[in-house]
Amino acid sequence: MTISGWEQLLFIAAVTAVAAPLLGRYLAATFRGGRAPGDRVFLPVERLVYRVLGVDPESSWTWRSYALAVLAFGLVGTLLLYAILRLQGVLPGNPTHAPGMPPLLSFNTAISFITGTNWQVYEGETQASYLAGTAGLVVAQFTAAGVGLAVALAVVRGIAGPMGNTARTVGNFWSDLTRSLVRVFVPLSILGALVMVSQGAVQNLSGFRTAATLAGGTQKIPGGLVASMEAIKLLGTNGGSYYGTGGAHPFENPTPFTNIFDLLFVIVLPFAIIVMFGRLIGRPRQGYAIIAVMAIIFVAHTVVSMQAEHHGNHLLPASVSQVASGVSPGGNMEGKETRFGPEASALMTVGTMGTTAGATDSALDSYTPVGGTGAFAGILLGEISPGGDGGGLYSILVLALLAVFVAGLMVGRTPEFLGKKIRAPQMKLVVTYVLTIPVTVLIFASISLVIPAGLAAILNPGLHGLSEVTYAYASVANNNGSAFAGLAANTAWYDTTLGLTMLIGRFGPIVLSLAVAGSLAGARVHARTRATLDTAGPTFAAFLLGVIVIVGGLIYFPMLILGPIGERIVG
Amino acid sequence: MRTALFGRHLVASLVMLVVVTVALGFGYPLVVTGLSQLFFHRQANGSLIYRNGKLAGSELLGQEFLDRRGNPLPQYFQPRPSAAGAGYDGSSSGASNLGPSNPLLIGFVAGVNTVGLDGQPSATNPFATAADPACVPLDTAKTPVISPAPGQKYARAAGGSYVCDPNTIPERAIAYRAFNGLPANATVPADAVTVSGSGLDPDISVQNALGQAPRVARARHLPAATVIALVHHYTQGREWGFLGEPTVNVLELNLALDGQS
Repeated sequence: MTISGWEQLLFIAAVTAVAAPLLGRYLAATFRGGRAPGDRVFLPVERLVYRVLGVDPESSWTWRSYALAVLAFGLVGTLLLYAILRLQGVLPGNPTHAPGMPPLLSFNTAISFITGTNWQVYEGETQASYLAGTAGLVVAQFTAAGVGLAVALAVVRGIAGPMGNTARTVGNFWSDLTRSLVRVFVPLSILGALVMVSQGAVQNLSGFRTAATLAGGTQKIPGGLVASMEAIKLLGTNGGSYYGTGGAHPFENPTPFTNIFDLLFVIVLPFAIIVMFGRLIGRPRQGYAIIAVMAIIFVAHTVVSMQAEHHGNHLLPASVSQVASGVSPGGNMEGKETRFGPEASALMTVGTMGTTAGATDSALDSYTPVGGTGAFAGILLGEISPGGDGGGLYSILVLALLAVFVAGLMVGRTPEFLGKKIRAPQMKLVVTYVLTIPVTVLIFASISLVIPAGLAAILNPGLHGLSEVTYAYASVANNNGSAFAGLAANTAWYDTTLGLTMLIGRFGPIVLSLAVAGSLAGARVHARTRATLDTAGPTFAAFLLGVIVIVGGLIYFPMLILGPIGERIVG
Repeated sequence: MRTALFGRHLVASLVMLVVVTVALGFGYPLVVTGLSQLFFHRQANGSLIYRNGKLAGSELLGQEFLDRRGNPLPQYFQPRPSAAGAGYDGSSSGASNLGPSNPLLIGFVAGVNTVGLDGQPSATNPFATAADPACVPLDTAKTPVISPAPGQKYARAAGGSYVCDPNTIPERAIAYRAFNGLPANATVPADAVTVSGSGLDPDISVQNALGQAPRVARARHLPAATVIALVHHYTQGREWGFLGEPTVNVLELNLALDGQS
């Protein structure tokens, strides 16, 4: 890596280290209950929403009721978005004359945005109307982010909540969702969008303008409500872009500054949510122990990719200069923008792979095998570096339960997390959680690799093609949504199976983690003794890291050997 | 009981979605659009560039500098190859998505991805030409052939050699050298022979611009030093000294050239 590559990585780390604790403190104050900062502005808005909904924000529900509300909200949202996409051709707000989306594509796209996956097989410029973009997709991006944070709050209340909660309640979904949107996602998105516009991201209703180029030709210049979508795409760890090429498009990500800003806009909030967790349970150290694990994984997969892309594609002829210098970015420039170069591209693209955003500023399919493995790693370890908004927290809490269980087996004590005993009912749910996504991914990917409908969509020959298919399922199952985009995935087989995979990958973990939380809600909190495993110390952090790597590695290693690792060795 | 509860949740969900659609689907983007148009009018509308009162393009989007037959104009700096539509199509941003070992990208590299005339793996490239040992042949319909089969018909040049797919990196390097009058062993910067992520990259590297400068100077009958000075003038260093890479904006540079002569 070059010095400027390291500097950009350090800059990200430094800003996150300052911003995440501040934001985390704000989140903790907001979601602790009682008075919170900004009440004078936000409270009247929230009261209005509760009145319209006809709900009592103070009532607290069991995990089952909470999960049913999440499922109901997902179901209605999906149906509504499906209808908008099908009908966009006849609805107003369509200056680019996008026709209604076909049924399977609408099915896939609706699920994709409601689940926060933002897998996009339609072309942003021509296949989505302005109305569908903003009233459909952007609304889904906000709600997906709000649902993620809401579920995480419920899980924290269950796992860490006080003794004597005999009704075993975990909170109120409508109040959690409303507060997340009103106090976190909307204000921050407005700020972020304005920063992006100030740098050149577009925000207008002009449709295409036609320019007369210098050479005497014409060029269509696109418009659109780009920055407002870009902000919640990133802040909400969604990843769905206005234009087909997302963060590579100069109208979405115009400068190296916006590139770094975009990455920060993705990762600061998930880290802040972990800080919030530590403060909410009254043990800030527990939060920082988890953050340390997340940060190590983030840096590892990002640095591997940055180095690989900086090094370039060794299969190119020697007469093509891939050496980085003051006058040339060098490295693997296929699919990368000149203003970012290979390192900042890998930093941004692979950096967001440890979240559910999967926002890219370069073409992942053209990454070197090792560079692409970095992106795979972020996803396959279960999106916990630092994970989605809320999703990162409940995922790593489940993995922490697995880790204390394994540690408990080693020393022969009943495992405890935050003072609560972890027993068979919890472990059954945890193991189901850990297996849900890999089983779905591996079954669908394996079928796709033997049936003609699966094989026909592959662009690149050889082992790289296997990576395209497995990456697609791994990406959508983890609600990431980034792609090895050579795969022509807008087919009946892929639209259907990827849509199902997204549903399983989103709602399976939500229901299971809520169930774990419900089973621990109100459970007895044991006093800490000298024999209690300290889950906030470096030993446990290292142990948790080991469990994450071993679980992820055992499940996916054969697939990685056949895909990117094989491609590198053969080439 | 649980069905009734689910029913109540469904109703509340529907109401909530109506609320958020109004507030976030319409209110939020309109607030952002209003503030953007008020405070950042130029940026929000695409950083457009006008020439003689007519829209000539955007500072942020690359455009083509080709003659009517699609050949690059020597008097203009040329942008990177593009996979957006037929090239720099603003309505169809796109990357090649070609993998790092794909023959369509890197050509047939001996010992890596070479195949014989029968389509079976082979140690050498049977399609190699004198100029391009990594040549990927075209069929008679000008489509690249990467999985040959016995009986396949190929396009042939006058001397009988295979006609190579012009879009592989080795072929693009050969064309870059020929177009810029560089010797056959000259190194070519990576950005000059690769497609960008958006297909609309407005920039080229400084090395790429300097490689093109003497040719542009010849075509415009300007001293090379003048054009090189202009390249340096339009070189944008790393933002804040360490973000991203130094770049040269092709459209701005070409506009400046047109303004000079």
